[in-house]
Amino acid sequence: MALEEGRGGLRASDADREQAVEVLKAAFVQDWLAKAEFEAHVGRALASRTYAELAAVTAGIAAPLSTVQPPDAPSPVREQRTRRKISQAELAKSLGVSRQTVILIENGRYLPSLPLAFSIARFFGLTVDNMFGKEPARPRISARSRSAPTA
Amino acid sequence: MMTFIRPRLRKPLRNALAGTVFAAAWALRGGNAWQLAIVAEVTVLVSAITIYVRAGEDNDEGALAGSRADERQKLLSLRSRALGWNLATVAAFIGLSIAVAVKATWWWPFLVILAVAAFGYLLGLSNYGVAEEIPADDANDGHPARSPVSH
Repeated sequence: MALEEGRGGLRASDADREQAVEVLKAAFVQDWLAKAEFEAHVGRALASRTYAELAAVTAGIAAPLSTVQPPDAPSPVREQRTRRKISQAELAKSLGVSRQTVILIENGRYLPSLPLAFSIARFFGLTVDNMFGKEPARPRISARSRSAPTA
Repeated sequence: MMTFIRPRLRKPLRNALAGTVFAAAWALRGGNAWQLAIVAEVTVLVSAITIYVRAGEDNDEGALAGSRADERQKLLSLRSRALGWNLATVAAFIGLSIAVAVKATWWWPFLVILAVAAFGYLLGLSNYGVAEEIPADDANDGHPARSPVSH
């Protein structure tokens, strides 16, 4: 997962920990977590120091727990572009779009069409899922994961 | 024919041509105010030059004026034109209502605008495939689909 690979090592803030606790509360209210599990998860969330640890606390429960990200996280497009030392204008020219469109895609204010998404992914040698895929939708916690010990 | 003309020149030339046709019509009309045809022509030429200059700018308006818009900018233009048509039809409807209320003889141009808008809309639905009947291609051909969770 990109979170663990790229930003998971960054230190989480108090707000991030509170956000994770809120998600755990929601899961508890929905009866997705037993009381003992809830208390154990909250304890681990409050003790988490990095995003990776926070994501581990929330893994298997619900999407919000694994979508805790540091603020101002760079978009994959911007990340790939800067890694390759390409300017926005150069990328725009290669893709046949305007510089403004590249800027808006990087800022998440414009979702490209499927052909353009494929062009961007091919340009960077990645898949569309890598470039534009988001975290999976919030799954209902399964009976197995609910009963699993919270180590 | 337009493909042989440089993209940056297309819109200015189209506007200049349309304006010249109107100025010519005004000149043919004659009467005391025929000189207004010259004013109209000069205005149109200034407008065309302005569009040509703006077409050189590196922004969305410049890309649209220079006929080099990408998918996002085309969508922007499409939505703006749709909004323009919606406002025009609302204005035409109000005009028609007022004309009918005051028993005016100039009600029919409003009706023409509304009829053209409705015809254009239906033509669009037809052209863009909404009316096409796409046969189902599944294993339950001829039988209604059943949800796996229904009983």
